[in-house]
Amino acid sequence: MAPVSIKDVRKYYGALEVLHGVSIDIADGEFVVLVGPSGCGKSTLLRMIAGLEAISGGTISVDGEVVNDRAPKERDIAMVFQSYALYPHMTVAQNMGFSLKLRNAGKTEIEAAVAKAAKILGLTELLGRYPRELSGGQRQRVAMGRAIVRDPKVFLFDEPLSNLDAKLRVQMRTEVRELHQRLGSTTVYVTHDQIEAMTMADKIVVMNDGNVEQVGAPLELYDRPANAFVAGFLGSPAMNFIDGTAHRGDGAALELAGGARIALGDPGRTLPEGPVTFGIRPEDIVLDPESGTTARISVVEPTGSETHLVAHLADREIVLVARDRLTYRPGDEIRVSFASGRGHFFDPGTGARL
Amino acid sequence: MTTALQNWASSARRKIKENARPIRREEPIGPARWPVLVLFMPPALLLFTIFVILPIGEAAWYSVFNWNGYGRPEEFVGLRNFEVLFRNNAFRQALQNTGLIMLVSIIIQVPLALWLAMLLARKIPGVVGFRLIFFLPYVLADVAAGLIWRFVYDGDFGLFAAIFGFFGMETPYVLADRNVAIYAVLAVVVWKYFGFHMMLFIAGLQAIDKHLLEAADIDGASGWQKFRYVTLPLLGPTVRLSIFFAVIGSLQLFDVVMPLTGGGPSNSTETLVTFLYSYGVMRMQVGFGSAAGVVLFVICVVLAFTYKRVLMRND
Amino acid sequence: MTDTTATLPPGNRNTSSPGSSFVRTLYTYAALFLVASIVLIPLVTTALGGFKTLGDLRTNPFGLPAEWQWANYLEILFSERYWRMLWNSLVIGFWTTFLTLAVAAMAAFTLAHVRFFGSGYLLNYFLLGLMFPVATAILPLFIRVRDLGLLDSYWGVVLPQVAFGLGMSILLMRNFFRNVPNELFDAAFVDGCGYIRFFWAVTLPLSRPIIATVGIVAFVQSWNNYIIPLIMLTSESNYPWPLGIMSYRGEYGTAWQMILAFITLTILPTVIVFFAAQKHIIAGLTSGAVKG
Repeated sequence: MAPVSIKDVRKYYGALEVLHGVSIDIADGEFVVLVGPSGCGKSTLLRMIAGLEAISGGTISVDGEVVNDRAPKERDIAMVFQSYALYPHMTVAQNMGFSLKLRNAGKTEIEAAVAKAAKILGLTELLGRYPRELSGGQRQRVAMGRAIVRDPKVFLFDEPLSNLDAKLRVQMRTEVRELHQRLGSTTVYVTHDQIEAMTMADKIVVMNDGNVEQVGAPLELYDRPANAFVAGFLGSPAMNFIDGTAHRGDGAALELAGGARIALGDPGRTLPEGPVTFGIRPEDIVLDPESGTTARISVVEPTGSETHLVAHLADREIVLVARDRLTYRPGDEIRVSFASGRGHFFDPGTGARL
Repeated sequence: MTTALQNWASSARRKIKENARPIRREEPIGPARWPVLVLFMPPALLLFTIFVILPIGEAAWYSVFNWNGYGRPEEFVGLRNFEVLFRNNAFRQALQNTGLIMLVSIIIQVPLALWLAMLLARKIPGVVGFRLIFFLPYVLADVAAGLIWRFVYDGDFGLFAAIFGFFGMETPYVLADRNVAIYAVLAVVVWKYFGFHMMLFIAGLQAIDKHLLEAADIDGASGWQKFRYVTLPLLGPTVRLSIFFAVIGSLQLFDVVMPLTGGGPSNSTETLVTFLYSYGVMRMQVGFGSAAGVVLFVICVVLAFTYKRVLMRND
Repeated sequence: MTDTTATLPPGNRNTSSPGSSFVRTLYTYAALFLVASIVLIPLVTTALGGFKTLGDLRTNPFGLPAEWQWANYLEILFSERYWRMLWNSLVIGFWTTFLTLAVAAMAAFTLAHVRFFGSGYLLNYFLLGLMFPVATAILPLFIRVRDLGLLDSYWGVVLPQVAFGLGMSILLMRNFFRNVPNELFDAAFVDGCGYIRFFWAVTLPLSRPIIATVGIVAFVQSWNNYIIPLIMLTSESNYPWPLGIMSYRGEYGTAWQMILAFITLTILPTVIVFFAAQKHIIAGLTSGAVKG
């Protein structure tokens, strides 16, 4: 167990810079999730921590020591791959014990460590099997078992759940989280799935295009996104964005390009003035039959636990989520308003929070 | 013979048609099968039967006759051809040489090819060029390769003459020396075929998921350990395939030997096929030559089956 | 950005210190150049040898010619015999390739798609052909070809070559054809398309890669084949080049400069085609082997 410190790390492929100076501090025992769209550099960064990619600039330290020039085996890290990367010619036990065997550990020591890890993960029955004889979820567990057998300083996960079906993914999410609570080791977890990030992380690092957009606790990022990218990336259905000009005047309002005005209700704070991107989460748009603005419903999507409504508010498409079972049909008119203090304002040019 | 064949072919066709029916009852849907069976199968069946299967059967038949190839085989001699064959020194030499070629192919050529494939698996500039160069001898006809090396080995004009002359030594006539000639032939065999095996290994290496090697990196494996515990076991099928081709190639080695030594000097470089050619075909001893062919056939069958049982179990 | 980062390929592993990786690279290149020179020196000296006089060859087999003797090459290039044997090889190769493709594709299609009793046995029957070298049955084959009256003709060479290539060709093509998605069949059958129509209109157009592979293997094997023409052909005017080169060598004995020029000119087409179409040829010749 150890803290990990990433300072101004850069990565070039030839002349192409794919990481533009990334800095992240990870505390001892913290579960950090790197999340972002594909191609944002999150996997590259993870592989650089692992030692599988050369570090073109900056430093990465594990437990206070710079590991830039160390081979993976000298970094005392363990990694779970997206494809699991289980050795197909070894049994589950051999897969899990391989790293200890390479360290010339004794046979009994290996067996004990493997048995212990297998017990934690419920793999005891499967130790004699080959990877090809396992289901996806079992392989996933073996890959984790291989990592925990070694008791490394840092665990790295590279999109470990993306090859599982939806139901199993939810289950494994919990298992990974429980495992972390049990072992308490520093963990860096890469995913493109914002729900995984929200549900699992102590701390989320949102990356985009080789840059860190924001670092923070899940709800902190959800409630106070630093920019429009983070705001739009976290949350499902995604935040609604409406471009317009904000007016403080009598009753805050957003003036759209066509001249229409939308009342913003009680913003709960001093509004910025001038051109903005206004953001509001679907669950923060409420049905308000008395004083709301009129919107026309175009799609109704019941999910069972809640209802998603796609509606047109002065020509802008918005999505709202209601907990109630609503009986609207496409074409119906509703009146909506924005929950007080829940609106976000972003600079339309830079996307930065205002 | 021809009428027998026609009968056989038409009965085979009838059989196919008859047998198609019960399946059709199970699956009534789908277009008619008989036109495609009648039009598409016979050409391949006929060619293959007439020029491959029947001659192999006839070899067994002819091998118990003393026959010069004209008229019909009438002088039945039982197993005497085989008796004579196994007493023939040239044939024994041929068997021994074939075994030696197999051995060298397996213990020198296959590891050499694997080593080069590992070198060329590294992503360094020039890799593609080296691959092409190493594969080039395999593309050249064996006969041309043999002639080129005949020049290389030539004691008067060739490269060996120049090399030994440079060191002030007397030039050996390697192809004329019955103790050395077989090794000279072996060198050419390795030169000619290592590139093919190397390509097999490169293909095999490329098929290995590179995440497995990264996982081994993380598990703490050194370069050699990665090769020993991950790469080599995963190349198992390729190694077996490579050995299989080495064995088959050794058994039919002929084209390279003919321009180099023709089996000489004094039969010291005879292979099974050069023996069969010189003693069976050249002298038109059809019975005797066929007996040699049958021995070759039996060796192939035995090797193929042991190989399948022993090595290919997991594939 | 420094030069070292510029040349680092993606996925390069930062596993060892710069010093040891330099030694490793040096060792790799030293080994590769050594092997490459063993491969190339015989070939290059052969080509150069054709430009030398016999005396030059005796004293200086490695170096450049003292005086470039174009006459050696020109004499061969202006001889009928050189073109004649390349032509023979070409014709034999063409028919072998064409017939192999046609016959094997039809059989492979039937074995892959038409379900009939015994199709498994039939496939194994063809696979028997993979197990035996031509040589096992070369004498009966000779007698068969003689009795069919095909001795000393192109067909006497072509038909046995096709027959012995069928096992591998059918196996490769059948495995490829089986990957055509079943839905395509169902769609075609619903549209009223029969098997033969489907073969022409769907299977063949989709199968260019395997046709190229099998075709290349068939042609290269035919082009380089020695033993079958050696047994079946008697008159020199029918000789393909591997036979022609041997008889040339027989005639010229120790006139190595001429023999070397002749070898060079005969392998030249192979070398040119190899470098021009190397990707396909390597893929063809090795994938043929691997998938078998």
